[in-house]
Amino acid sequence: MFANTVNKNRFVCSIALMLLVANWSLGQTLSQKIDAEVSKPIADFEKKAAPLCSDLEFIRRVTLDLIGTIPTVEQSREFVKSTNVNKRSELVDALLASPAHSWYFAMVLDVTWMERRADKHVPSANWKQYLRESLLANKPYDVMVKEILSADGVDAKMRPAAKFYLDREGEPHLITRDISRLFLGVNWQCAQCHDHPRVEDYKQDLYYGLFAFFNRSYVFTDAKTKQSVFAEKGEGDASFQSVFDPAKVTKSSGPKLFMRAAIAEPKMEKGKEYEVAPTKEVRGIPKFSRRSQLANELARGDFEPFARNGANRLWAHMMGRGIVHPLDLGHGDNPASHPELLDLLAKEFVKAKFNHKEILGQIAKSKAYQRSSQVPKGLQDPKPEEYLVGAIRPLSEEQFAYAILQASGFTDAERMILGAKVEEAALQAKLAPQATPIINALATPAGQAPGYEARVEQALYLANNGQLQGLLAPRKGSLSFRLSEIKDAKLFAEELYLGVLTRMPTEDEKKEVEVLLGKKDVDKAGVIRDLVWALMTSIEFRFQV
Amino acid sequence: MNCNYACKTVDHGVSRRAFLGGVGGLGLGALANPLAAKGLAIQQKRVLVVFLAGGVSQLETWDPKPGVVTGGPFRAIPTSVPGIHISELLPYTASWMHKLALVRGINTKENDHGKGAYIMQTGRRQEPANEYPHFGSVCSKLLTEDKNPLPGYLNITPNGSGAQSSKDAAYLGPKFGSVSISDGKAPANLEKPAGINSEAEMQRHLLRQNANERFYSRRKSAMTEAYTQTYDQARMLMEKRGLFDITSESGKLADRYGKHDFGRHCLLSRRLLEGGATFVKVSHTNYDTHHENFDFHIEQLGEFDRTFATLLEDLDIRGLLDSTLVVVMSEFGRTPTINRNFGRDHWGTAWSVAMGGCGIQKGAVVGKTNATGTAVVDREVNGGHLFHTYLKALGFDSKKNFYVDQRPLPMADPKASPIEEILL
Amino acid sequence: MQNDKDAKKEAPKTPEVVKPSPPPVFPGLDPAAARQAKEFKHTSALLACRYEPSGKFLFTSGQDNTLQRWEIATAKKTDMAGHSSWVRAMVFAPKQKLLFSGGYDGQIISWNYESAEPIPLRQVLAHQGWIRSLSVDPTGQMLVSCGNDGRIAIWSIPELKPVHSWQAHENHAYQVAFHPSGKEIVSVDLKGVVRIWDLTGKKIREIEAKALHKYDAGFGADIGGARSMAFSTDGTVLALAGITNVTNAFAGIGNPIILLVDWATGKITKELTPKEKFQGTMWGVAWHPAGFVAGTAGGNGGMLWFWKPDQPNEFAAIKLADNSRDISIAPDGKAVAIPSYGGFARIFDITPNLNPPKEVPKVPPAKK
Repeated sequence: MFANTVNKNRFVCSIALMLLVANWSLGQTLSQKIDAEVSKPIADFEKKAAPLCSDLEFIRRVTLDLIGTIPTVEQSREFVKSTNVNKRSELVDALLASPAHSWYFAMVLDVTWMERRADKHVPSANWKQYLRESLLANKPYDVMVKEILSADGVDAKMRPAAKFYLDREGEPHLITRDISRLFLGVNWQCAQCHDHPRVEDYKQDLYYGLFAFFNRSYVFTDAKTKQSVFAEKGEGDASFQSVFDPAKVTKSSGPKLFMRAAIAEPKMEKGKEYEVAPTKEVRGIPKFSRRSQLANELARGDFEPFARNGANRLWAHMMGRGIVHPLDLGHGDNPASHPELLDLLAKEFVKAKFNHKEILGQIAKSKAYQRSSQVPKGLQDPKPEEYLVGAIRPLSEEQFAYAILQASGFTDAERMILGAKVEEAALQAKLAPQATPIINALATPAGQAPGYEARVEQALYLANNGQLQGLLAPRKGSLSFRLSEIKDAKLFAEELYLGVLTRMPTEDEKKEVEVLLGKKDVDKAGVIRDLVWALMTSIEFRFQV
Repeated sequence: MNCNYACKTVDHGVSRRAFLGGVGGLGLGALANPLAAKGLAIQQKRVLVVFLAGGVSQLETWDPKPGVVTGGPFRAIPTSVPGIHISELLPYTASWMHKLALVRGINTKENDHGKGAYIMQTGRRQEPANEYPHFGSVCSKLLTEDKNPLPGYLNITPNGSGAQSSKDAAYLGPKFGSVSISDGKAPANLEKPAGINSEAEMQRHLLRQNANERFYSRRKSAMTEAYTQTYDQARMLMEKRGLFDITSESGKLADRYGKHDFGRHCLLSRRLLEGGATFVKVSHTNYDTHHENFDFHIEQLGEFDRTFATLLEDLDIRGLLDSTLVVVMSEFGRTPTINRNFGRDHWGTAWSVAMGGCGIQKGAVVGKTNATGTAVVDREVNGGHLFHTYLKALGFDSKKNFYVDQRPLPMADPKASPIEEILL
Repeated sequence: MQNDKDAKKEAPKTPEVVKPSPPPVFPGLDPAAARQAKEFKHTSALLACRYEPSGKFLFTSGQDNTLQRWEIATAKKTDMAGHSSWVRAMVFAPKQKLLFSGGYDGQIISWNYESAEPIPLRQVLAHQGWIRSLSVDPTGQMLVSCGNDGRIAIWSIPELKPVHSWQAHENHAYQVAFHPSGKEIVSVDLKGVVRIWDLTGKKIREIEAKALHKYDAGFGADIGGARSMAFSTDGTVLALAGITNVTNAFAGIGNPIILLVDWATGKITKELTPKEKFQGTMWGVAWHPAGFVAGTAGGNGGMLWFWKPDQPNEFAAIKLADNSRDISIAPDGKAVAIPSYGGFARIFDITPNLNPPKEVPKVPPAKK
């Protein structure tokens, strides 16, 4: 078999190495596997990469990402002091286990799936409650997606889940596009009219295969109750032509998801397609529903795009960019930056029975997540997809709003009022009315993927808006109040910087505070107000750093 | 390869984040026309769009047909351009015809308010789940310098109406979206908050700057620069808030503009354009006269006519008219057939738009409708042609593309082209 | 005597003509039995109509800028061209056989209404913008006009020399008329402001007919004005017709209404409205010498109603074939004429129907 001993030895060594590696990876956690995959493409990854972030940077980062706000001063101090070697890991587990995570993640899912569309048929509050209760009950991701894709708004209990369809007015092209973007990570927008000229994978018949699940559906409004539901006809074809086809050949597609087998449709005798025939007053109920076939086809572990998209979005939530990026543009010409990493995460997501906390937690525990954002000396132009350095990423509107409430001490003050055994729901009820205007001032236009954009109206709002300034006013338990009681400039600076930026002040910063407070006839309240505002509107607060 | 069909969307054009990642100013990629950048240096151009909401009747304005069954009771009057007649309801505007041009052969094939407005604002037909940027957003991107304290697309909306979708910048990004000036009142949050005097305002601004400078000494990115820039822009805009105060204008001039909303809004428009705004849209409501079309057009055009003429004169006197593209448009025209309630209904089949100022051939009339106004018989154009024309009037090559994350997106509908006859 | 059960079974159906019991009695008349007696068709939509004082002719105006003279007995039509816009106002000076027409071209034209082919005799540019209303004084010597310029102007008959004019209103003046006494002039504007003047133009009194006006904030426009006006024969009551309850001016969502103003006190004493809600404008009101009020509306179709002036709801309602624009009562009081959008001038016989059909009287369908 082997020409000579050298080759034989090489062969034996390779086998031994492989076995070693295999043994090692058997014992690895997912977070370790993540780091292995992240470091693979770059030689001497660990040498080049930035060190891990500090404890304070970590607690701020992970609190924002897992429960959508920043830690309290007490929590920060305690975390730094602790000598527990597992404290980071345990913090991650504690955050994920807290009800606050479900409250926050419900907001994340809402924004991801509804993209801030104005309420039409299902009130946002009901929908968010559905999401929240599902998360609190540890409902797996695939089950949630199934429910959303099956909902028609008829059953009162599951009606909120129908918001996805109903508040898109049941428009089949819009629904097709958004399902492909949000649940499958692909955007077949162009394929509505033709095969994508550049992207091989975006084919017109793939688009219409998905479209065909919806082409018979329509929103039906009961004239008496005024309630709208997602109804369905018993006939109708999804036919299409390519705008590039000079012959204008008309093709048609039955419901077919991606490369999966076409849905078998029973042959219906004409005139006998309905359980309940549609009229102006009555919604149609077909004997065979195309649309109801979709949920089981799509939301399943063995359907790769579904699991991959889920995993990719969870990764993006923590890391600031997807392994496939942008999140809804996965195709042959836009490959994953780390294909095996994505495969791994997708598989693990399935293995974890679509428990998203499992994946989020493992990402949070990885080194990749915990990298400092400071570029090490000698490292030139690190690319974001290399994950050598922690990303500087903007807070989402929700994160920013709730961070403002925490930083200003509004949340602390409300907690104080609510007492020792404060229920998450009660606290959230107090915070939401203050958070909503801030979110609205920053929010991106409805119907588009959430993202960050700096606009002058936002700066005007943060600079001049009365409601926001009101948060700076001293109140028992608020940061301004606590600061007003501190006489020592150094302690003052500590409380300030820990409270707003979750870090200790530098010498310069302590000096600045000292000078400000030491002024003759100082208006201390004014200094507090201005310092807090300046830090809240600084880059360091607006971005994850 | 370009996708020549209108399926460009935010998604198609890659996410905004990707577009903006690493962006501080106008955006990735070249300006559509490198010559435009040079042109900017020569003379700042600006745009004024007067939107007559509801669909003004072309038979009662730009294309009167007295004495025929569809003509209605109004007569045609001569204008300052021999051979051009417009409705007797526009006597003041008629005296400014020598600075205006008319497009009389518009067929947008659209009788729906929303869809018609979309066509006129974007130069494209509306498609489900597809968005094209408004003319205002395009101008904001092409004309507005970064250091301009005024937002690039100002939309003066009549009280309680005219609100635009925040998608109006589409794939160009929300930075180029419209900033609404509801009922001519200054944008929200333009005043220092109560309890903060100028000293305190300066102090906290400096503190914020210090904090950011310390941050920059450690790390920097285009995104964080863009963020801090908005605060500087906000402070500049706050300093310009006087622009929104029309009470400082002479009473006589304010009278000529008219003591009604449209008059005040047009006076504000002039102040903004003079103050450096590059795109101002002002709306007059309403013209959707299904009932008593003639009475209501007397009323509405009575307001429009004198105000518009005053605005043209005011821009002209201040030396701005030749560098300002002026467009008067609606979402469609009105039916030649007069209905049983003396009304005219929606009509996108044969109607008109008026233009003037920058790049426009003065006194030109392009397009013709038949004797009763029921069809275009010469030089039929649609919203796409108009969009091309506006861009070319401003000195841009309208056939070029925007580049959003290196993907080419045509500035105007590739199926259309500029109306050369109306351009200089 | 029938018992209740039978009464229920045999109660007569009255879908189109509403008769409160007992029906009012006007000697020789039965407005509730109004039926179409004649129909004249013009080539364009019609705006206004007036019987000429002898009753031989009916004059109509069209949306084609012309007037039409119809010889009622023979249906002979004579077209009268002269205006360069629509005409809404037509009045007569019978002594000189003159018809005066006021047009949206601001012109008053006088015609000899008995000539074989009437042509414009005299013409005067009376107003800036539309003339909306004309009236001849009881002596037949003066003509008064009003229009969109808000001015009232008095002219001599027949020369149409300007006698006197003044700025009567701040916005469009819709109606002007001499009081039957000839000593006062009344005018109404877009905003429902009613002003009473002496012949020198001095304002005697002002009344606000708020029900006739609405500023539609959604569209930024005023809708209002009295679209028609009529004095009772003795001049004690003034009827003003228009549209009220407007919720959407540009779609014409509102209801027709007639206000009755007591001349002596200047108070609005009654609102005449149809029992069954109708969407549209009351375009014509006329006061029959027998003492009842006729009103006609156009909007969602056309209607004709008759009221007793002391009752808010009509005693008769007749559905018309299409939108009506005006009303005129025949000099002998036995008929009313109504011009329509479809170009029809229709004459309705309001004398008792000696051969009533088995069913409720219906208006015959319009001849296409």
